Amino acid sequence: MPVVLTVDPRSGVPIYLQVIEQVKRSVALGVLAAGEQLPTVKQLALDLTINPNTVAKAYRELERDGVIETAAGRGSFVRGNGSIETTKTAATDVARDAIDAAVREAKSIGLLADDIRTLASAAIDRWFREDA
Amino acid sequence: MSTISIKNLRKTYGPYVAVDDLTFEIPDACVFGLLGPNGAGKTTTFKCMLGLARATSGSVLYDGAPLVPETLERIAYVPERSVLYEWMTVGEHIEMQRRAYRKFSVARARELLAQFGIDLRKKARALSKGMRTATMVALAIARESDILILDEPTSGLDPINQRHVLNLIINESARGATVIFSSHQIGQVERAAERIAVIDRGRLALEGNVDDLKADRKIVEGILPSETFALNGLAGDPHILRLDRNGRIVRAVTSSDAGEVLAKFEALGASGLRIVDLNLEDIFLYAVSPADATADVVEGH
Repeated sequence: MPVVLTVDPRSGVPIYLQVIEQVKRSVALGVLAAGEQLPTVKQLALDLTINPNTVAKAYRELERDGVIETAAGRGSFVRGNGSIETTKTAATDVARDAIDAAVREAKSIGLLADDIRTLASAAIDRWFREDA
Repeated sequence: MSTISIKNLRKTYGPYVAVDDLTFEIPDACVFGLLGPNGAGKTTTFKCMLGLARATSGSVLYDGAPLVPETLERIAYVPERSVLYEWMTVGEHIEMQRRAYRKFSVARARELLAQFGIDLRKKARALSKGMRTATMVALAIARESDILILDEPTSGLDPINQRHVLNLIINESARGATVIFSSHQIGQVERAAERIAVIDRGRLALEGNVDDLKADRKIVEGILPSETFALNGLAGDPHILRLDRNGRIVRAVTSSDAGEVLAKFEALGASGLRIVDLNLEDIFLYAVSPADATADVVEGH
């Protein structure tokens, strides 16, 4: 199970949210493929040295978000049906959080909505230059 | 099931109040971290839980029932100070535990001690402080008990063995045991514990789920238009635990809904607003340091 997750327990971000974010990111990047099995709750807790109930909570939320499914006695898997949809949803979640944080910061230092829009579209142009 | 309820626990030694009206619950199969400055009452709390000290008032209930000898058989305890017999070898301690406890697993004890690199032929007096701690932790875990009470189970250990003890705690929890442990190293509690209680001068300063505390407790920071700007309406805000201002900078520690507090700051005309995450150490320090008088800071200078 090539799941590479790293969490920073010393951060102020709840650990279960870090696990959720990283699993979604791994799905979005294709590191975790549809149908692929996730480590058991106990295994991931031991791998990361974090509380098992914290891992279980992250898995429950990932299941509710439709990213993974859990088969009783068999473990948790990345959802297979509609995997493109799952991937896209996961990618959107990760990107939305990043953009949210950037806009919040820009607003907090006094930029107006139009300034931020100009910056955002310049950034999009820069990163998607080759596609144009 | 091993739910532990501590209700209005009070323990005095003469005029000294070690534990004062402590109430919290440790859910079944939970890893529960007990934090507090030196002398806060952590060890006294453990002793009252184990019947080693008689509570002055209040109670400790295991699944709703007071402590009885049968309960003690289900609890393994690692005290902060070594209780190993100095003249006995580690192997002899294993034998003694085997005779004392029905469920004690000699194989598990040997396995755990080998993981710590402890020679069974060594006498306890030849072990370093850390290795004594590791030996006691190994002997406690080999009892395969329902409840583990560990007072500073990583003290004196190097970082590798500290991590190993944390993983043993996690493993015990994963098999369904209830674990309560204290540590001065907040980073360890942050990793392994699902819930914490902070005790300060014998009293409960804070209790809750670690991730929930991190989600709720934030610093909302903003810059006010002037140093004399009044912060009307913030003094009684139920989401604000404490409010500090330093010149034009104002900081609120929230107990929940940081977003709402941020919106209030914005409505008051503050700029440069941001929400800062707090880790468990910050949350701990805010819990044990006396809050500044909120009323003084809100009205401006």
